[in-house]
Amino acid sequence: MKGEASKEFPIMKTSWPIKVLTRKKKKFPSCLLSLSSPPDKLYYRGNWQSVLWERSLVVVGSRRITNYGMYVLEQFIPYLVSQGVTIISGFMYGVDTQAHRQCLQTGGKTVAVLGNGLEVIYPPENEKLYWQILKKGGVIVSEYPPSMKARLWTFPRRNRLMVALASLGVLVVEAGENSGSLVTARWAEKLKKPLFAVPGPINSSVSLGTNWLIKTGKAKMVTTPEEILGEKHKKDFSSQAKGSFSGYSPEEREILLLLAEEPLSLDEIAAALEKRIEEVSRQVSLLNLKGAIEEKGSRFWLKVSLEKNS
Amino acid sequence: MLTKVLSVASLGLKTIPVEVEVNINKKGFPGFQIIGLGNKAVEEAKERVRTALVNSGISFPTAKIVVNLAPADVPKEGTCYDLPIALGILGALGLVKLPKKKVLFYGELSLDGSLRHTKGVFLLAITAREKGIKEVFIPYLSANEAAVVEGIKVFPVKTLRQLTAHFNGIEKISPWRFKKMEEEEVVSDFDFAEIIGQEQAKRALEIAAAGGHNVFMQGPPGAGKTMLARALPGILPPLSEEESLEVTKIYSLSGNIPPGGSLIRTRPFRAVHHTVSRVGLIGGGSQPHPGEISLAHSGVLFLDELPEFSRSVLEALRQPLEDGEVNIARAAGSVKFPARFMLVAAANPCPCGFLGDPYHQCRCSPRQIARYQNKLSGPLMDRIDIHLTLSPVKTKNLMGHQKAKGESSATIRRRVVKARQVQQKRFADLKIHSNAEMGNKEVKKFCPLTSEADALLHQAVANFHLSARSFFRLLKVARTIADLEGEEKITASCLAEALQYRFRFSSS
Repeated sequence: MKGEASKEFPIMKTSWPIKVLTRKKKKFPSCLLSLSSPPDKLYYRGNWQSVLWERSLVVVGSRRITNYGMYVLEQFIPYLVSQGVTIISGFMYGVDTQAHRQCLQTGGKTVAVLGNGLEVIYPPENEKLYWQILKKGGVIVSEYPPSMKARLWTFPRRNRLMVALASLGVLVVEAGENSGSLVTARWAEKLKKPLFAVPGPINSSVSLGTNWLIKTGKAKMVTTPEEILGEKHKKDFSSQAKGSFSGYSPEEREILLLLAEEPLSLDEIAAALEKRIEEVSRQVSLLNLKGAIEEKGSRFWLKVSLEKNS
Repeated sequence: MLTKVLSVASLGLKTIPVEVEVNINKKGFPGFQIIGLGNKAVEEAKERVRTALVNSGISFPTAKIVVNLAPADVPKEGTCYDLPIALGILGALGLVKLPKKKVLFYGELSLDGSLRHTKGVFLLAITAREKGIKEVFIPYLSANEAAVVEGIKVFPVKTLRQLTAHFNGIEKISPWRFKKMEEEEVVSDFDFAEIIGQEQAKRALEIAAAGGHNVFMQGPPGAGKTMLARALPGILPPLSEEESLEVTKIYSLSGNIPPGGSLIRTRPFRAVHHTVSRVGLIGGGSQPHPGEISLAHSGVLFLDELPEFSRSVLEALRQPLEDGEVNIARAAGSVKFPARFMLVAAANPCPCGFLGDPYHQCRCSPRQIARYQNKLSGPLMDRIDIHLTLSPVKTKNLMGHQKAKGESSATIRRRVVKARQVQQKRFADLKIHSNAEMGNKEVKKFCPLTSEADALLHQAVANFHLSARSFFRLLKVARTIADLEGEEKITASCLAEALQYRFRFSSS
């Protein structure tokens, strides 16, 4: 895979030259001028259109994404993309990378703001993603000269740029205790941008930060992507509701009802239903093939909701 | 005076007769020399033989003694030539009347003139039968090992003195009668009933044991990977007659048969530490010796902490996994050791072990994790039929109220043995023993699907993007599940269960 990417590399490089925006140019985003120390120059690659910034949201989170974080991104990003939202993120491991990926997969445009020069691809595993962002009409931005390597202080500064560029605000998906995402949250506060956080399990170390943001009232708690776009949340528990799943056998329904509460492993399903493991694994395989559930890590997650079935 | 005594040299699992020629010349400068490409152990036989003879009450001659191990161009090693050399000297001195007919001598001497347990006795007995040699003289402690072979007379020798008495007609040694060992109870470190939770893993190991499938377990520390693997011997089917002979050969050659032991009847279980060298695992050396994979022949090779093994060691595993034997080529010739083993491998999900664990935080960087898991991907994983992800067992479940105790190893073993019998019948005309050994041709022939299962298979191939390799692996596992259920054809439910054990790419 690596070989493939590096073969592509030279052609891509020439087709995406690094361009510079100075403060004097028209294109220079006016939102950055309100910063106390706006960058003198902005380096970028890709197709810079002002439309990109009209509805843009920063999505950040832990470098160590969990299955729960993946689930949140899968629930949120497709909807946001369908509403024409540009996803801005920091090109780091974990939530950042997955947010970019998820956005590209659903056909959206995404912006990566780097903490290093544009010629440095860091983390190197994301090289393919780097070019994909550009190919799909996104932009990669940095305020640092092209060959500059990342330093410890460049990342927090990068966060301020990200936040300033976002028109809709900042969404924190998963954040640990001393996460860089909390720095981003602080910038959102300073720049008076709306801050959203997705609550997480209280026993998860990478949800400590997000839950703290919610608890202290710094962030608005969101559980559906609609809430970010300002729509009033209806009192609708349909996706979590208990109900019948029509179209499935009684044994399958038992498993689906169980998974509607929380994702479980095969062993846990078998223990809860007090059934033999052989039997459960067979039914779970069939449900998986039917697309009713999916497997992540060693647990199975419910994919269908009640609405789709009734 | 010149005497000739017969012994054997082993080259891999094959043996060749060796003539031990001893010449004592009263003229010339006194000395003691052994020629014929012996290694250090053979060289040191001089001192052992000299001292043993002296301690047996024989005055060692002050003369020029030359011992030749013929054929002289075959490298020889080991301590088994002590006895033939000593006897040759005795014969040359005229102290013993050597037998006229062809007789084999084999064994290591102790300084006091007694004989010690020597490795390779079983191979010697087989050579004797093949070459039509009727009598062998071997150390007393190794007698039972050789006596398994029918059609030869085994004389157990305790001391040099006893041997001279035998040949001089003073007191005959009576041939050894084979003592059948009591049917050994299968002993494993743990019983399956002791393992709490991990029902899926237990079921997977049952399937693996029934079909001889390779297993890979991934899970955080404390999930019970090692415990499960160590419980595995308890459910393995017994060795067949033919397998038992093969295993005994390897064990005899590598000196793994204890004094007084004979045929190996239980399947070997070899747990290998991750610091093992390539030669240690695969076999080799200038005089090729079997490695752990051959010692695990017909049994289980357990590699705990798989990513910690050096890459070259893991790469070397690939060919034996495919062929069921290992070829070690040396300048002196190439040697083949059988290595048809069931691989059970275990690994943590990341270097610290807590990736995906709900109760602990993983402290590894994404790159560390990628590097760790890279070691697991690729060709080795491609040769493993059953893939398992274990979750940690909650400590609360370990204490106190378990609802029902799990099935015991003995119960599971009965099902496994039954499934193996089905396979034995199926593969009676073929060279394979279990479902796992089926090639693509056999899979097509022996894995008929019900129409329902066929539809499911198509669906699975499309949905899970199964590669050709994993497609065949899936069918093999499904075949074993069907055998456990006593089904003629593979049903949809067998196939559905097998799907749970497929290889998932990049499980994050």
